[in-house]
Amino acid sequence: MTDPIPAIPQRGPQVLYRAPREWTRMHPVSPLLGGWAVMAVALSIAAYNLLPNWLSFDEGMEALSEFAMRSILLFILGFVAILALVLGFGYLAWRVDEFRLGDEAIHQRKGILFKQQKQARLDRLQAVDVVQPLLARIFGFAALKIEVAGGEGSGIALEYLRLGDAEAIRNELLVLAAGVKRAKADGTNASVEAVADRIADAGAEPTSPGAAEAELAAGGQQGSAAQPTGSKAYAAGGSLRDVAGMPAGVAEVGAAPERPVYAVPTGRLIASILLSWPTVWIVAIPLMAVVAVLVLSDDIERVLLAAFSGGIAAILPAAFALVGYFWTRLSGGYGFTAGISEDGIRLKHGLTQTRRQTVPPGRVQAVRFEQSLLWRGKDWWRVTINVAGYQENQDQVSTLLPVGTRHDALTALWLVLPDLGDPDPAGTVSLALSGTGDEGGFTPSSRRARLFDPWQWRQRGVRATARALMIRRGRLVREVFVVPHERTQSLGLSQGPLQRARGVATFTVHSTNGPVKPIAGHLDVEDARELLEDQSRRAAEGRRRQTPEQWMSAVGLTEAKRP
Amino acid sequence: MTLFEPDGADWQYVSRKLIPARLIALALWVVIPLAGLTLLGVLASPWVFTGVAALLLIAAWAAWVIYRQVTAHAWVEREDDLVVKKGRLWRTVTVVPYGRMQYVEVQAGPLARAFGIANVQLHTASPGTDAAIAGVPESEAARLRDRLTSRGEAQLAGL
Repeated sequence: MTDPIPAIPQRGPQVLYRAPREWTRMHPVSPLLGGWAVMAVALSIAAYNLLPNWLSFDEGMEALSEFAMRSILLFILGFVAILALVLGFGYLAWRVDEFRLGDEAIHQRKGILFKQQKQARLDRLQAVDVVQPLLARIFGFAALKIEVAGGEGSGIALEYLRLGDAEAIRNELLVLAAGVKRAKADGTNASVEAVADRIADAGAEPTSPGAAEAELAAGGQQGSAAQPTGSKAYAAGGSLRDVAGMPAGVAEVGAAPERPVYAVPTGRLIASILLSWPTVWIVAIPLMAVVAVLVLSDDIERVLLAAFSGGIAAILPAAFALVGYFWTRLSGGYGFTAGISEDGIRLKHGLTQTRRQTVPPGRVQAVRFEQSLLWRGKDWWRVTINVAGYQENQDQVSTLLPVGTRHDALTALWLVLPDLGDPDPAGTVSLALSGTGDEGGFTPSSRRARLFDPWQWRQRGVRATARALMIRRGRLVREVFVVPHERTQSLGLSQGPLQRARGVATFTVHSTNGPVKPIAGHLDVEDARELLEDQSRRAAEGRRRQTPEQWMSAVGLTEAKRP
Repeated sequence: MTLFEPDGADWQYVSRKLIPARLIALALWVVIPLAGLTLLGVLASPWVFTGVAALLLIAAWAAWVIYRQVTAHAWVEREDDLVVKKGRLWRTVTVVPYGRMQYVEVQAGPLARAFGIANVQLHTASPGTDAAIAGVPESEAARLRDRLTSRGEAQLAGL
């Protein structure tokens, strides 16, 4: 650690890149990339404030041009001042924003006035995302977001790095995290240096006995990465790559080979967005207006005038909300692909801002299938997941499948939970998706609940397989929750006065923060009690046997079991 | 009959001192509007005293709810998990495995300290886990925290 740059050994014309062990700054163009959002806001505020002046001015042309000149001058001055402020502030922030890979964690320190020190422990790593907002994407840069389970603001965001560097750090972190976990389980030295050495040894001698699969796999990749062939990301770097003269090179740890599993065709995505309730509203409201006009046939002009004068102000916010909804769905689901690698599940999506997510094996806490009435004809499903650590933008980061056929949905579940603990997983889940009552071996909601739950008591039900708990509910919007037993946090049982009178109770599985909140409503109170007891026993058993290696062998990434 | 009665469970009920502690907190909320209304009644119209009566009735009802709630609040430490039950009208039971506990929080405000009780709360990685035990005697609270922490460490499982 005394050598200033031990991290970048020279290899021919290209250089190996690994996560820095010393405090290192972000890429120097970061203030420019990050400042644009602020600039856009400032510009729009300025425009908003200046425009009314121009518009309300209606005296002689001479005065107008003079005023316009002055306004433009002021505008430019203001723009320059704001630009200088933003860039100056960005530069200062960049100077103190540093990160390094420590012994057990990746550390970050930043903040001009209020200093902030963060660390993300590798054994707590929940997900690593490479995010490219539009501007960063154009110039070949990316932000690296490292999520750990630690509540609000516990994740680390490295903004911005060269795309290749961000990917290199991601690969290295994922391999090291798997190695650290392995070493902890084996009781050997679990510090980053020790694990990295072991991985390097395994790479030099891939047949060394006793090395874990994860390390073997990692070593294998490293071997291949040493010959700079598998590093297209670097060759295709952005045009601003060499502005700062920072070392460019080949990732020391290459990306784990990825096997694509499914993709969402753009046509289907657009169709799915059109087949949603907001669209129905957009079509329905003008239709209703037309019908009203025809029926009343009173004075069409007057009605239209009233609608336009009074309606626009009311409709505008709603229209914005609708556009926002469409945009979120479209940009989040555009080009969606899912794949598997030794590092875990890989998701890639985004229209203007792309996001490449990696969720290590066993980090998905709960799964939800969802199908609205409009999708039923096509039998399309949307699959969302809970991953501990994801706090913001949950709609974007928690989607496992924006829209897919039943087959895709089953594949998505298989990614998360390769072994459902059921002899016929596809059949069982299919029945879970569209069955009612006790079909598929479900324990249905009690008939006594129909008094206060008349609409969906038939759809409610719960079933435990050897590995997971499935909860079904919903009539208009069908929903199925799947929670692996070993991911259960805690369990709850609740009963209100009405439920008590009818002898039913509601069973809840508490999962980590996210869009999936599994609740099994209105079970017979005896069933609910039994379920509570059985689930706490199954969860305890599940916790005892969870290992990432099981995931890898189950999805076909490793053939042999560890000796 | 209770909602959930695990085999051989020995429910530990919370301290009855929680009742006066909560009653005092309730009184603090009631006294000021009561004084204001009484003053208004004396100065203005005797009709205002119906409001005073209503307020007293509500306070009496709240006091009764407090009594019922405290006497229904209990916990039991089992081999692998802690079970907390609470509520009479809306009853909930929460089962928290020791291996899932992130940390245990012991809290005592000035009023609770005066009565020698504390609030013990278990936190898991789920925001939904509602496992707070109000009104644990102070000495017991410290013991409970240590016991829970050591059991949590012994059985700790990664997320």
